[in-house]
Amino acid sequence: MAALYRVLNYLGKNVVLTAQNRNISLSAVTRIKEIIQKKEGNTLTFEAVIKPDPYEGRFLKPKNGACAICSSGLDIKHTDVLILSQFVTSEGNILPRRITGLCETQQKRISSLILMAQYAGLMLRRSPKGGLLHPLQKRKWKKFNSYYDEKTIKARYK
Amino acid sequence: MSLLRKGQQWGTFACVWHIFDATWQDPFRSAHLIKKYLMGLYKPIYHPLNQCGDHVIVINSKEIALRGDQWQKRVYFHHTGYHGGATWTLAWELHSKDPTMIMKKAIYSAMDGTLQRRFTMQRLHIFPDDNVPKEILENVSNQIKQLRPVPNRLHEIPQEERDKIPRLIQYPSDYQLK
Ligand SMILES: [Zn+2]
Repeated sequence: MAALYRVLNYLGKNVVLTAQNRNISLSAVTRIKEIIQKKEGNTLTFEAVIKPDPYEGRFLKPKNGACAICSSGLDIKHTDVLILSQFVTSEGNILPRRITGLCETQQKRISSLILMAQYAGLMLRRSPKGGLLHPLQKRKWKKFNSYYDEKTIKARYK
Repeated sequence: MSLLRKGQQWGTFACVWHIFDATWQDPFRSAHLIKKYLMGLYKPIYHPLNQCGDHVIVINSKEIALRGDQWQKRVYFHHTGYHGGATWTLAWELHSKDPTMIMKKAIYSAMDGTLQRRFTMQRLHIFPDDNVPKEILENVSNQIKQLRPVPNRLHEIPQEERDKIPRLIQYPSDYQLK
């Protein structure tokens, strides 16, 4: 019985995964490498296309070999959502250091700032069930505004 | 008396009405700001027994912001005087019942504990939203500046404004971004 249940559960998960539609998203999606799936008769072909970066013209080049935030000299607050949203995927996950290219301190700092912005309801947070949580559908103490103090972040340059 | 001296005389002795928008403001930090106007501490003729305070209207007190997890951690104590009459109310519970109470208590406890503050509090008018009666609003002649700017939510910022912000990072070309 347990084996049958496991098989059914596995099949159910796989069916759901293939039927998932990822064409719709709330925020702007940038695909540097896009994977295109084609089906012709019985053959399924995958093709990877490297697309040009749409943000190339607005890129602020880091100077003196420092990371992007250190060289820009910005004092980023948790309310600067336009900057923080560059370090988040469209699903609300924080990008790893391997992708962002920040130094260790700034990566920790940015991660804390993103969490602060998400808890304050300024950025959309990932829901545990998948998708994004709406900031206004909140209960109890979560329905009131709260802000955070950046001095409580331990990772910083002295 | 010259016109300048006349103006100084009026400015010193006039009872000014100030307005303060509490949207996204910390009530305990703005209490120290409001207290200054309410008691008239900024006036050269200030004396505790001299009635020189101004009126302050606080609007949007429902939209105040507390720091960190203070909505769950801050507790308001009350005792009825009877045996077992003690109650502890969390800040979010108090704010759900009366959205003006946290602001009022913050300003009351920011002032010194003399009996004079009961009369000073009568010059404070708190409204949970921006529906202020017209006869009160027509007295206002000064706006108190907010302590912290009202933050914008990311999904409410228009796309044209988002497109102007410079990019700090460049994704690797072989990265499949979601
Ligand atoms: Zn750095």
